[in-house]
Amino acid sequence: MTDLLHARNDGPPPIPPGTPPILQLQGICKYFPGVIANQDVSLDIAPGEIHALLGENGAGKSTLMNVVTGIYQPDGGEIILDGYGQVFAAPQDAIRAGIGMVHQHFKLVPAFTVAENIHLGWRDTPFLASSKVLETRTRALSERFGFSVRPDAIVADLSAGEQQRVEILRVLARQARLLILDEPTAVLTPAETRDLFRALRAFRAQGNAVILISHKLDEVIDISDRISILRAGRNVGTYRTADCTAAGLATTMVGREIVRRDLRARAPGATPIAPTPVLSLRGATCRDPRGVETLRDVTLDLHGGEILGIAGVAGNGQRELTQVLTGMMPLSAGEILLDGTPAPLADPAAFARAGIGHIPEDRLRSGLAPALDITDNMALREYDRPPIGRHGLYDHTAANHLAQTIVEAAEVRVPDLATPIRNLSGGNQQRLVARREIRIASRVLVAAYPSRGLDIGAIATVLRYLTELRDQGVAVVLVSEDLEELLNVADRIGVLFHGRLMATIDAATADMETIGLLMGGRSAHNGAPHGGSTQDGGQA
Amino acid sequence: MAGTLQRQPTVTPARRLAWRAGAVVTALAITTLFLALSGRDPRLLADLVVRSTVGSRFGLEDLALFLTPLLLTGAAVTVTGRIGVWNIGAEGQFYAGAIGATAVGLFLPGPAWLVLPLMAASGIACGMGWILVPALARAYAGVNEIITTLLLNFVAGLLTTYLAVGPWHDRVTGALASTGRLPVRIPEIWGVVHWGFPIALVIVLALAWLTTRTRWGYQITIGGANEQAARYAGIPVRARILGVMLLSGGLAALAGVFEVAGTVHRLQGGLANNFGYFGIVVAVLARGSCLNVLPAALLMAFILNAGIVLQTQQLTGSTVLAITGLVLFMIAIADELAHYQPVTVRPATVGPITVGKEARP
Repeated sequence: MTDLLHARNDGPPPIPPGTPPILQLQGICKYFPGVIANQDVSLDIAPGEIHALLGENGAGKSTLMNVVTGIYQPDGGEIILDGYGQVFAAPQDAIRAGIGMVHQHFKLVPAFTVAENIHLGWRDTPFLASSKVLETRTRALSERFGFSVRPDAIVADLSAGEQQRVEILRVLARQARLLILDEPTAVLTPAETRDLFRALRAFRAQGNAVILISHKLDEVIDISDRISILRAGRNVGTYRTADCTAAGLATTMVGREIVRRDLRARAPGATPIAPTPVLSLRGATCRDPRGVETLRDVTLDLHGGEILGIAGVAGNGQRELTQVLTGMMPLSAGEILLDGTPAPLADPAAFARAGIGHIPEDRLRSGLAPALDITDNMALREYDRPPIGRHGLYDHTAANHLAQTIVEAAEVRVPDLATPIRNLSGGNQQRLVARREIRIASRVLVAAYPSRGLDIGAIATVLRYLTELRDQGVAVVLVSEDLEELLNVADRIGVLFHGRLMATIDAATADMETIGLLMGGRSAHNGAPHGGSTQDGGQA
Repeated sequence: MAGTLQRQPTVTPARRLAWRAGAVVTALAITTLFLALSGRDPRLLADLVVRSTVGSRFGLEDLALFLTPLLLTGAAVTVTGRIGVWNIGAEGQFYAGAIGATAVGLFLPGPAWLVLPLMAASGIACGMGWILVPALARAYAGVNEIITTLLLNFVAGLLTTYLAVGPWHDRVTGALASTGRLPVRIPEIWGVVHWGFPIALVIVLALAWLTTRTRWGYQITIGGANEQAARYAGIPVRARILGVMLLSGGLAALAGVFEVAGTVHRLQGGLANNFGYFGIVVAVLARGSCLNVLPAALLMAFILNAGIVLQTQQLTGSTVLAITGLVLFMIAIADELAHYQPVTVRPATVGPITVGKEARP
């Protein structure tokens, strides 16, 4: 049985030759309708190793881990544990086999205590489970595995790092020998990260294994023994960490065939880039309800007639940036300037009136009222101005007119304007939202992942909308996880990492490696010596 | 070819109405069946109900008196429903309105033209005050309004009883049942039907216009359909929730004002007569449309009126609750079934007829 208290030597333990891998994946395939999530993925996880899994969003990491933990059944391939083939019909089977996963978004009950969360749904929980018994057991577990937790604390009151310790302890208590961590450091402070890594090394020293999903190249190089890189659902290679460099990993991770189509060329007669910025951020900082900084000290200028691309792995502050730029989220520090004067904080209506349009990230949840008809949804931005809104009234006929105009501009065929908008396809919804926002975007358009979930034709249409708007002299912010799209359309590309704008670089001369390094948290200068194309991205 | 049922995402109003009419007829048929089984003559009872509700002047007057509070409490619950909030406390706000009106009526002597508007204003203010705390808690702290508004009903009901038999009890007769008769009354326009009835009708029509034809109404529709989208569009959702809940409290309170000043003329325990709760039934039937409150309240008033008639025939008072429940149950089923339409599925035609012409060597 593992006993981590007595094991503090950090390196991988000596493993006798001929020991089978803890987990062996052979040719795993997983398909979803129209999508190949995993194709022929083979992977070995040896006892006593920390194995990092790298890949862009949508590269298939989560799907693969869901297959390993029994949430999905593979459509092909084999899972071999300790040399024996296994079929996980349900997540419980994987847990029983010693595979434990800590998800990026914790699956704890916030209103319960730490001890209750640890014992929830665990077959070893004693029949008479008084809080005293549970807390004593939790304290014992905490000491045995070296993760300090407060057994009687309510989970909702804990910091992200403490919650993560509870999650890991929960998994370890169920005798996991293979621990899977999805982006474990995304929510941690540097000190908490060091603690976590120390505990992971101790876990490894017992002959256990860890799969670490991360985007942070430095961390991966720091802690892992081997690295596998997934791209478009396939394993493109497994490397010994000692042989890897951050630059090499970045290129392998994002370096697919990029078709560069230059959509930066202006149409004749297009408005040139305005010399003075229309919208600026100065040291903009946001905190989430837990007090974690989600946007850190971002300074940038938006000029009319240009497209600023925002790259980065999802969850690094993109949502906060778009909400700040459209007046939906207040700043906790710094300021936002509209034409050089401070803009009203957190007043999206005022931003809309000032000519700032917003194609939101999740159109059904935040940009549309799915149950209402097309007319009501299309009026969302102009209901308070003539011809629809006059003297406090809502002119239904005028709203129908507007909806008809938008529907025609978007080239969407709808049976009837009274159709609930949820009955339209995602692509048509997106086109309608885009046209609606373009109408009010006389100065700025903030488009968050406008091509997400669309087919190639619809993507081309939406991108054409953006370049047309740019040619009319509007400042466009394009947030995207598709580097190809950013490189083709944007004039400048800013890279967000951990809420910080790492750099803003010229898209015409940008190379994938620099962007990849920036997305992984490496500053361009020390990561890529030839990063001459980088400008100072407003980092004071 | 095979026939099958398919669920349609939308239902035309005519189709829904037809299904609902069928539901009401079914509910009445089941009621008739049970009355017959319990040894009564359904034809006799039906004849009696029709004659004493819509078939006679007295019946119509009673119907209007039932309809007046139901229109207002039904509208009160419907307007909050439009922004996604359930005001279960119309009963309590009804009492608060009656208390506020009685206080002015009993203790402020003056001509009726002056006292009646003051009674209405005082009653509405009391009703708004009664919902103020739940409204603030819902809008700014996210406290579930269903619980808070519901619990305040019992407080308001008991407070009314306390006032009616305690400090405000009738000093003339000395009977500990109600306050003294109010010195002013809402003038009648037709038999016992007072001005409260046309005013309630106008209010419901005004609300129907307000909720569908004004900017305020649009903001509430969006806020109720998707709060996140409303915030995205810069709609002050919290202020709208607060405003709509206060309006709702005021409407229910006005029903209480009319009841005490126009129909009962005294404050007494049990005055609200479940009108607040029946308002919820009306709102459920109205499906969020203030215009639909008119027919929904009419149906409810008819059932209540019929219940009184049935009680004169030695049927228990619970009969009316049973019929109401049955009607609601049937309508809920009908609303769901209205989505289903038979479709004919043709097997995919495989053949060279269409493909062949296009095909080229």
